[in-house]
Parts: sequence; structure tokens; C-alpha cells
Amino acid sequence: MHGRKAYELVKEFASGEKGHLKIFNNELFERVIEECNEHHNALQSLIRKMQEEGLEVQTAKNADHYGALVHHLSLTRNKRCLMAYVYNRAEIIRDLAWKVGLLHELPSEIQEKFGDSEEQYFKDHSKSLKLYMSQLSLDVNVDMVPPKDPYIKVRVLEDLGSGIILSDKSANFARHSMHFLKRTDAEQYISRGLMEELTG
Amino acid sequence: MASSGGEWSAEQIDDYEALISTTDVELLKKAWRNEKASPEILPFEEALVKRAKEQIQLMEETVDDFEESGHDPLIVSLYQMDLDRVQFLLRSYLRVRLQKIEKFMFYIWKTDTYRNRLSIEEEKFTERCIRDMGKHLEETVLSKMPDNYQSVLKQSVISEEDDMVPEPQLDTFVVAKCERTTRPLYLDGSRQSAGFDSRDDHFQMVPGDLCILRYRPFQEELTSGNISLV
Amino acid sequence: MANYYNIDDILAEEEFVPVVFHKAANGVVIDPSSETNSVEQGAKVELPLWLAQELYLRQAISISVPACFSQRTRLEIQADAACVDLKSRSPYFYEFGCKIAPLVGDKTIEILLLSAFKIRYKEILTKAYTAVFTTTSKFLTLLTKEETNLYEAAQASMAAFKKWRMGGPRLQRASVLGRKRKPLD
Repeated sequence: MHGRKAYELVKEFASGEKGHLKIFNNELFERVIEECNEHHNALQSLIRKMQEEGLEVQTAKNADHYGALVHHLSLTRNKRCLMAYVYNRAEIIRDLAWKVGLLHELPSEIQEKFGDSEEQYFKDHSKSLKLYMSQLSLDVNVDMVPPKDPYIKVRVLEDLGSGIILSDKSANFARHSMHFLKRTDAEQYISRGLMEELTG
Repeated sequence: MASSGGEWSAEQIDDYEALISTTDVELLKKAWRNEKASPEILPFEEALVKRAKEQIQLMEETVDDFEESGHDPLIVSLYQMDLDRVQFLLRSYLRVRLQKIEKFMFYIWKTDTYRNRLSIEEEKFTERCIRDMGKHLEETVLSKMPDNYQSVLKQSVISEEDDMVPEPQLDTFVVAKCERTTRPLYLDGSRQSAGFDSRDDHFQMVPGDLCILRYRPFQEELTSGNISLV
Repeated sequence: MANYYNIDDILAEEEFVPVVFHKAANGVVIDPSSETNSVEQGAKVELPLWLAQELYLRQAISISVPACFSQRTRLEIQADAACVDLKSRSPYFYEFGCKIAPLVGDKTIEILLLSAFKIRYKEILTKAYTAVFTTTSKFLTLLTKEETNLYEAAQASMAAFKKWRMGGPRLQRASVLGRKRKPLD
């Protein structure tokens, strides 16, 4: 049946954990593209046959016309699945740009999942966000939860070095050290899993 | 301003309230709530955003002054908390709008009503989003499609309209509060469209009413300020 | 197409429907019972909805009610909607039903969907708020995709509410980064 490989591709995307990228399935992706070309070839040859018989392709509704129609519909179906696969992955990549941002290296386990053009898209989108923020002189990717306390207690989970400059002081972020930081300073570190918020 | 701790003078309370300018915060909160709840992008509150930014700046300077002059730390932290709240509202408001742009970039760009609702910076952002996304889709999919199937807006050249463009779901349900009496609306059986009618079975909200309704028929009531979303 | 990129919409349209071809079609391999590369006029075939829909609109085929909405399923739903395994009929039972109803000219499907949904919706909300793991997990396997989304939304809002009441860390590691790996010592 037509469109089954395309369906597999979309299904694979949907079966992943929501909001997480699986590794880009190059093999299946290329297979669907190949099928698009196969459908196009079949479509073209049916059209040529009709033209040779002197028939108007759009209006002469014979078996060749309907065969061509089926191939056209299968082609657009495959296209839709391919586009949806890339588009929905791009949504997750944009989320990464928001949460992790351009300044920081993405963890390698995420970079491995990117397809060829996805890394560039990540960078491009991060740049667009940065540009917007600098035009407004306002960061929109911090302050992601409503403020309760201006300062929060955090524990550092990985060695981040000393003399780190924050908005109101400088600090040494050795692993396991605990600090009282401005919420907006701590947010990006927590988001990247480098610190955790402590309560109680 | 007196710097001793303890009771607040009337002067201090007045200054505090003047600085916080509750009306603008309320307006910002409402704009934020509307934008969060609405499926479509709403008109940009340019003047309000400008004022909010100015006030934030003023509050930041005040907090800095207080800290330097050894002001009562309780009062300082109260100002700080209010500052944080206004900043959060402003950031969240802008953020929600950017995320709507990311979701409906093609549709917003080609629909004048929506395009005109963007700030200058948002318009530039939209342009870049489209360029980046277009490039990405082109490289991964479209350039590999047969001729006649390479458009990012039309499934194929025989499509009569742009049939690949995601649109906001205007028939979604929202919770709306009435601020001013709405115009009488005649809703059809499915309550999906409205027309002006003075027939008896019209629908009207009065101030204080809280209703769950489909968004679409009430678009104008929202932009005119007769209702606000919760 | 407002839903062009919508994954659930795409998956829902992969559901198969029984059709009869009124016109023949050449050069296609969609009829497994055909010995040639074509479909004959009068052939009975199962096609995916995305294809059937368009062929129907161009009057090449007619569509009959799919197995999902058979008499048997209807009776089961009427008997006890909350216990029917709708997921095994189709994970997109409601979406599929909405799309297929106008194509087969069956007005009763709408009523069926509405009544099933109403009853099951109540069950879903009740279970979401009073979740006892063992009894709930069997129930979850009966739910369609849309119902599962509802269940998860209800649970998430319940959890958020509890968290708000009890306090606790509100800033979290970005979920998009995946599970934490144990830091190497």
C-alpha cells in the first residue's frame, strides 16, 4: 500500500517521549523521498500515455487519469509526512534554543540526534532570539516561572569554576557547594542541569 | 525619604504606591492573561510595554539607591518583589507572543490583520523565523521533491490555495469575563458564528458575567475590551 | 490545511476504510487481490483514509462504514461505554469517526461518538483524580489517544496544584535535555 513508509516515519516520531528528539532516521527518510520520485515517474508516464492518445489529462477521466491521480495523492501524502517529521522536530529544537540557548554547548547526547541541517537550524534560531532580545534590551528566556522569592538556595552539581560573575556578586561554583543566588541568575544553570534548587 | 524601620509614614506609603503605579500593572496583567488565553496573536500593547519598561528601570534605580543608602531591608525587598513581578509579567507577555509567532509564522506573515499586530522587533523576528524555517525545510525536504511539489506553501502547483499553512484554532473554548456589556450577538446553532441581530434569542454578557465560550464569535468583544480572558 | 503539520491528524488519516471502486485505475498497486498493476471497476479494496477521502471527492469510489463502527461495537458501547477497548478499535476512534461520518452518510456515528465520549470522559476525570495504580493501569489501555491526553492533562494539573500547595523546587532541569546521567566521579 502506498504511503506506509511515510506512516512509519511519522509514527516513529510520535512514539518518542513527548518533547524529546530521537536520532534522525536518515534511512527511512531517504526511502520515503525515493518513493516520491517513484510516484512521480509513474505519474509522468501515465500522463504521457494519455497525451499520446490525444486525451486531455485533467478532463478525460479514464483508468490512466485515476491511476495518475492515485500517484499524485500518494506523492503529496509522502511530502506531508516528510514535512511534518522535520517541522515537528524543529519545534523541539526551538524549545532547546529557548531553554539552553546559544551561549552554551549542547550536550553531545543531544547533538548526536540532529539530522544534517538541524544543527544549523538550532544555531539560526538561537541567533534570531538573541537578536530580538538585544533589540529590546530585555531577556525573555529567563524568569520562566512567576517570582516567589527573589533569592533561592541551590546546590552546584558539577564543577563550574571559580570567580563566576553574577548580577550581584561573584562566586566559586565548586561541585557540591551551596549558594544563595538571585533566581534569575540561577535559572539558566538549573535549566541545564548544572545546579538544583533546594527547598526546606 | 525617612530610613528608619518600623511604621511607614503616609508619605512613604504614597511614594510607594505612586512608584508601583498599580493601574499599569493591572493593565499589564490583563494584557498578559488575554494573550496567554487567546489562540490568536492580539494587537501589541506598544504604549503599555514602553511604560512598563520605564517603570522597571525606575524601580531598579530606586532599589539600587535604597541598598546603597542602607535603607530598611524589608522595604527594599518589598520593592524588589514588586519589581520582579512586573518584570515577570512583561517577559511572559512578550514570550507568549514570540511563541505564537513561532507556531504560526507563515500565516501571520501573509495575513495583514495579524501582521499589523506585531511590534517592529516582532516583525523582524517573524521574518527571520520564516527565513530559517524555509531554509531548513528546503534543504531537508523540498529540494528533493519532484518539480511542481517543491513549494513550502502549496502541496503542489495544482493546489488552489496555500494548503500547507498552519492556522490558529479560533473555535477553541476560552473562559471569558465581562468588563462592559457586550453587543447582542446572535449565535447559530453550533455557536460558531455570530451576526448582528435584534432577534429575541440573542446572547449578551453584562459586567461580572463569567462564561465558557467558543473564541471565534467573540473576537471583537475581546479586542474592544468588552470582555477579557481568564 | 490548518492541520497540515499535525501529527495526530496525519496518523488518524492512516486508518483503513472499505471502498468499492466505481472507476478503474491503471498503474497502481493498491489492490492486493489484483494480478495486474491496476484496480478494476467494482473491486472491493481497503484503502487508507487519506487516499479514500480524495478519491471519494472525485467520485471514483464509494466508502462503507469501517469495522470500528460496526453494530457489534455500537452495542458494546451502549451496554457499558467505559469498559470498551476503544484503543484496539482505533487509537484515533473519535477523530476517525468525525472524518468518516460525512463520507459514508451515516448520521448515527455522531451520536455514538458523543455518547461514548460523555460517559468515558467522566470515568477519565474520576480516575485521574483518585488514581490507584493497579486498577487504573488496565483502564488506561482502553483509552484512545485523545482520551489519554485528557487523562494526562488532568493528572498534570492535579500534580501542579499539589506542588503549589506544598511548595518545593519550582525550577527544574529542562525536560528537553532528557534524563540526568550520573556525573562521573
